[in-house]
Order: sequence, then C-alpha cells, then structure tokens
Amino acid sequence: MKRRMIAEGKIYYKYLQMHLLSGMEYKGWWLMLIQVLVVVISDPIATVLLFSRFGNIGEWTVAHIILVYALAVASFGLAESLCRGFDYFPWQMLRSGDFDRLLLRPRSLFVQVAASRFHLHRLVRPVTGICAAGWALSELGVSLTPGKIAILAMALAGGCIMYCGVFVLTSGLAFFTIKGLDWIYLLTNASYQITRCPEPYMPRALKSMFSFVLPMLFISFYPAATVCGWGYPQWLGYLSLPAGAAFLCFSLLVWRFGVRHYKSTGS
Amino acid sequence: MNFRSTCRACSSLFRIRMAEGLQYRASAISGVFVSVFWGLIECVLFTVFYTYSDNGAWNNNGLALSQTISYVWLAQGLFVLQTMSIDSEIMSKINNGDVGVELCRPLNLYTHWFVKSSAGKLGTSWLRSLATILTGFLMPAGYALGAPASVLGFACFLLSAVMAFVLCSSFAMFVTAIRLNITWGDGPTYMLLLFSGILSGTYLPLRLWPDFMQTFLYLQPFGGFADIPVQLYVGSLTPSAALPAIGLQFFWSAVFIASGRTIMDHKLKSIIVQGG
Repeated sequence: MKRRMIAEGKIYYKYLQMHLLSGMEYKGWWLMLIQVLVVVISDPIATVLLFSRFGNIGEWTVAHIILVYALAVASFGLAESLCRGFDYFPWQMLRSGDFDRLLLRPRSLFVQVAASRFHLHRLVRPVTGICAAGWALSELGVSLTPGKIAILAMALAGGCIMYCGVFVLTSGLAFFTIKGLDWIYLLTNASYQITRCPEPYMPRALKSMFSFVLPMLFISFYPAATVCGWGYPQWLGYLSLPAGAAFLCFSLLVWRFGVRHYKSTGS
Repeated sequence: MNFRSTCRACSSLFRIRMAEGLQYRASAISGVFVSVFWGLIECVLFTVFYTYSDNGAWNNNGLALSQTISYVWLAQGLFVLQTMSIDSEIMSKINNGDVGVELCRPLNLYTHWFVKSSAGKLGTSWLRSLATILTGFLMPAGYALGAPASVLGFACFLLSAVMAFVLCSSFAMFVTAIRLNITWGDGPTYMLLLFSGILSGTYLPLRLWPDFMQTFLYLQPFGGFADIPVQLYVGSLTPSAALPAIGLQFFWSAVFIASGRTIMDHKLKSIIVQGG
C-alpha cells in the first residue's frame, strides 16, 4: 500500500514536471504570470473601490474583508493548482473520449486525472492571497503566534481540500450530464465572492448555504474570526479541516459512482 | 467572388451555429442559474453598502440603489456577449493546423470567422440573457430589475445593446487575430480578455469607480460592452447623451475590425501551419 502511494506520488510529480516544461515552450509563457497577477489584483479591486466610495460598514474595514477574502481565494488557488485536471476533465477529457485511455492504464485514476493539467501561473493566486492575508493581519494589528499560524494553515488546507472536492464533484456529475456544467461556477468563482459581504450583514439563507452545503465560511470567516478575536466561539475556527474533508469524501463517492456507470463518449 | 454569395454563406453559417448552440439547453439553463445567483450576491452586497456604510446615503455618484440593482441584472444579461475565451472551434483550428483547410475555402477568412464566432456567441446566449433579465423582473421588491427610465431611453438601450454585440464580436475577432500567432501561447489573449471584462462594468458599475477616472472610463472601448447600454436604461446617461455614446461604440467597433483584419492579413502571409 505504502509503496503504491509513493509510486503514484512520483507519477503525479512527473506529470507536473512535464506540463511545466511544455508550457514554457511558448515564447509568451511568462505573460501568463502577469495575467494571473492582474486577475488577483483586479478581483478584490471591486471591493476596495466600493470601500473607497462608500466608507466603512460599522466596524468593518477593507482589511477585515480582504483577510476573509484572501483566505478563500488562496485556498481556491491551491486547489486549482493541484487539481487542475479535474477542472478540465468534463470539458476536454470526457467529451473527446480520452478518458477511455486512462482506464486502460494500471494506475490510479485519481492521480492521472488530477495531473492531466498543470499551469504554473495558477500558483500566483495562492501566493498573492497569502500575501494579502498577511497585509490584512498587520493592518488589523494581530500579532501572529504559532497557534494562530496553525489555525490559518489549517484553514488553507481545509479550503484546498474543499475546492478539490468541488472539482471532483463536477467531474463525477459530468459522467451523467456530459455538457451543461456552467453551474460549477457557483461553487468556484462565485462562491468566494460571497466572502466580500461582511458576515453579520449576510442574509441568513446565504449564510446557511455557505456553511452547511459548501462549508465556505468554515474555511475563511471562522478561522479569521478566531485568529483576530471577533467574538465568535473559538472552536469554530478549528473546523476547517473536518468540514473540507467531509465535502471531499462526499465528492469522491459521487466520482466513484460515476466511473462505475461510465459509458464511452467520443471516438 | 461576389457579394451575394458571401451573404448567403454567412447566413447559413449563422443558422448552423445558432442551431448547434440551441441543442445544449441544459447548458443554457445552468448558465441562467449562475447569472441569477451571481446577480443576487451582487444585489446583497450593494444593498449592504448603500444601507449600512458610512457615506452610503450621500456617496454622490449619480447612481441610486435601485438603479444599481437594475444595472446588476442588465449587466448580467449582457455579460454573456463577452465570452472570456476565443470561440472554441476556431481555437482548436488554430491549434491543430486546420487553418490551412480554412484557407482553401472561397470565402475571406476574416469574414468567415467573424460570422462564425458571433453566431456561436448568440447561439445560446440570447436565451440565457433574456431568461436572466426576466428573472430579474420577477425578483422580490428590493432586488428587482426596475422599469426603464423613459421610453426614449429604452429605445436607445436597445440600439446600444445591438451595437454592443457588434463591438464584442469585433473585439473577439481582434483577439483571435492576435492568437493566430501561435508561438506566443495564450498569455496575451487572456490578458486582453480580462482587461476588457474588468473595464466593461460587469465587475463593478463604472460610475462607482473613483471620480478622477471617469473620463477615461467613458472613452475606453470596453465600456461599450455593457456599461453604455445599461446606463442608458437606468437613466444615468440621458437620451440626449445617447448619440455620442453609441457613436463611441461604433467608432471602437470600426477600429477593432480594421486592426483585426490588418493583423490577420499580415499574419496569413507568413503563416506556418502547425500539425498535419
């Protein structure tokens, strides 16, 4: 079992290396880095501009929002970098029938799909996210102790797992729908937009949807609240990992069910 | 080749792509879902800012809350025109070398692709935008899309929305022409598409950007994608300002078409067909 895990890990690494090198064959590959930098800067710019136009909301300042938002974006970016293959899977692999080829190989399907794509520039998002979170923490005057760093790291890990779960879930459902998966943006790019809204002002329906259906608040808001002491129960901040893992488990079930029911498409 | 047969070819291309787009109804429905959800989040956010923020009441930007909410819904409706990627069929043709086959057709490549990509864009999206806008009307009072500011404003909105479609198509073709230079990869095209998206006003109404940027935001080409038509609808641009605004959209379309054509012709002279 252990040896097998190591072997799969090696394959995963090889895949990433291959994608990295092939991507760098393009003359303009470094432009991709700038491009994602622009995404990362432009994403929160709407929020920053809103604050500059409207001023603070009660005790909520830009730094509060940016901290919660950055945690969500960074974990989304991590998942996007590591599990990119699942993101592309329904559109490219399934519809073209390339998936049949993977089924023939005596290797873990999960690793093969997860590593079927990798873009270096995706890593820009988590990196800038973490920097933004650091800026927000210093702006809020929070001094980092090892315990707090652990909470934040757990939030990132839990968020990464949760978003991997989102990608796996859509791939699993794609076996049944083939096309028509635009709703996935609800769970990816639209989901972290919700963190732009200060939690106390969020309508209850949205709040419960993003804590119990997709545990968005558990991986961004509650850890931030615990670290900065915004008067929420301390233990809520520690729930990021279990919440993310639960979501991933559910997605893996759907994925396995899908693989079992797979009938080839394409040629 | 004469003009009439070009027109005939274009209209059949248009019909084929439209029919193809309509086949994926599930895709259109889930698209509406996303737009509506996104719209709702934006509405909540703006309501919070207008109601609770320090200077929400006197922020002096020319957009009231109800106008902003109408703006959000209409921008969601028009957003589908600005595809964030090049038409996938054309893209794969560029990547696998089918451009060579396309060049054998007795039809100007630019015209051909222009029709193809704009029809592809319209194929599913008119349904999606109509459904989004309709849902906007049906929302509960605080979050609903309001009626147009005036009848004349509505007419200007329709005219400007059509112009926005032309503008988006010509910009998409401009980007495609740049993408023909395959050795550069996706970087430059993504960046162009991204900038256009941000500056189109669908991220944040351009009126809510800082005051010193307003002149620039008005004159830049991407406001014509969504901001100008929507502002005509909600009345923050009066019908008397419609003519120059639509003229601006027209001007930028012409610029994009001319430069797209030039780049493409230039590139096709020295094209190296990839793959086989």
